[in-house]
Amino acid sequence: MTRPVKWGLALLLLLAAASAAFLLLRPGTPGTVAVVTLDGEVVREIDLSALKEPVTFTVEGPEGLHNVITAEPGRIRVDSANCPDQICVHQGWISDDLVPIVCLPNRMIIELRGEGAQVDAITG
Amino acid sequence: MGFRRVAAALLSAALLLPALSGCRGQAEPAQRTVLAMDTAMELTVYSASARQNQAALDAAAEKLAALDAALAVTDGDSEIAALNRAGGAPTPLSGDTSALLERALDLCGTTGGALDLTAYPAVRAWGFTTGEYRVPEQAELDALAERIDYAAVAETPEGWTLPAGMELDLGAVAKGWAADELEELLGGAGIGQALINLGQSTILALGERPGGGPWRIGVQDPAGEGYLAVVGLSGHMSTSGGYQRFFERDGQTYWHIIDPDTAAPARSGLGSVTVLGESGLVCDGLSTALFVMGLERGARFLRDHPELGVEAVFITEDGAISITPGLEGSFALAQGYEDREVTVLP
Repeated sequence: MTRPVKWGLALLLLLAAASAAFLLLRPGTPGTVAVVTLDGEVVREIDLSALKEPVTFTVEGPEGLHNVITAEPGRIRVDSANCPDQICVHQGWISDDLVPIVCLPNRMIIELRGEGAQVDAITG
Repeated sequence: MGFRRVAAALLSAALLLPALSGCRGQAEPAQRTVLAMDTAMELTVYSASARQNQAALDAAAEKLAALDAALAVTDGDSEIAALNRAGGAPTPLSGDTSALLERALDLCGTTGGALDLTAYPAVRAWGFTTGEYRVPEQAELDALAERIDYAAVAETPEGWTLPAGMELDLGAVAKGWAADELEELLGGAGIGQALINLGQSTILALGERPGGGPWRIGVQDPAGEGYLAVVGLSGHMSTSGGYQRFFERDGQTYWHIIDPDTAAPARSGLGSVTVLGESGLVCDGLSTALFVMGLERGARFLRDHPELGVEAVFITEDGAISITPGLEGSFALAQGYEDREVTVLP
């Protein structure tokens, strides 16, 4: 074999190894991640599929409003809040990315991001 | 140059091409949540360029904020609030708001007043604007119903007039109009694939979903938690449902969709109406109007108005589903609802 052919084959092998590594070592399908934002800023991200035990935490807004949030394996909700309308509390648990929990008074949003759902959105 | 060298070059090219084509020319998504019109809006756009996506999202967010500022009836600085305050005096409106009002009043006329922009004082009397809910006395409702009449809104050379004591609200069409405006804006920004979710009640789907085919939209079960059916969507869609905003008093449920004839919540037997079509404004306004009309009158109205070019899903309070014939190929019951009977309307 001539030197250029050898180099060509070596390069080829390297490329094949690299693509195999890319395919095999790619991070697994991400689980369901809850993203909590306050006025557009992410304040907390929790991987709900990696949770073993419930976690409860409080999100404080700039105007003295707060939401007490509990995350469990696979789902999340607002336990209580001091917002006037309580819409975020009444919504209860969410476990998919279709309808986020929104507290408009506190400008707080909980969205789930994860593997593909059966549908792209919900109308209602 | 030897044969083997050429072969090696060709082989490596063959190996590389599929890997590269995965990245090249593929539309990548960009997403943004916008708080406007009292709801959280989810905008997702797809294009080959991240910069193009961001520019489109920036422009869309700006547009939504501007529409909200101009149209919000509860915002004292809005054009609509100024018209409501004018006590019968002509109020000049911007060209855009004027155009919207004109088209919305047209739609009120087409629906024979089942959609009426001037029902706002009744919505407020029930407490739906503040959350301080109450059940007005019959005499109060009669007086309110007396003053609900979209036909009294007029355009004069000096501006728009509304008789003193009347107030109007574009809430029943504002999101649909916003969807129309965003469709034009995204077209201009070169975005051909997008899912514009203006808070579940109004959705615009452009192009195909990432996996190919029309976007798949779940229709909320008005009596339950999940979605009872899936509809394929390319275009506009709006839903009005009694479950969207309501309160309970003495075992009775009162919801926010007001019948302009009675100034009381519309009890037509429907739990929700979903409308699909080419115009966001028409879908949005009609979802309210059809909810007020009820199944029988609503179905007849759609048969009598093929020029509106819409399809609809009616779900009654007891869970019966009816769809217009044009949806037959793109409507499917969701998991757990397979036993539900679906009537295809004549």
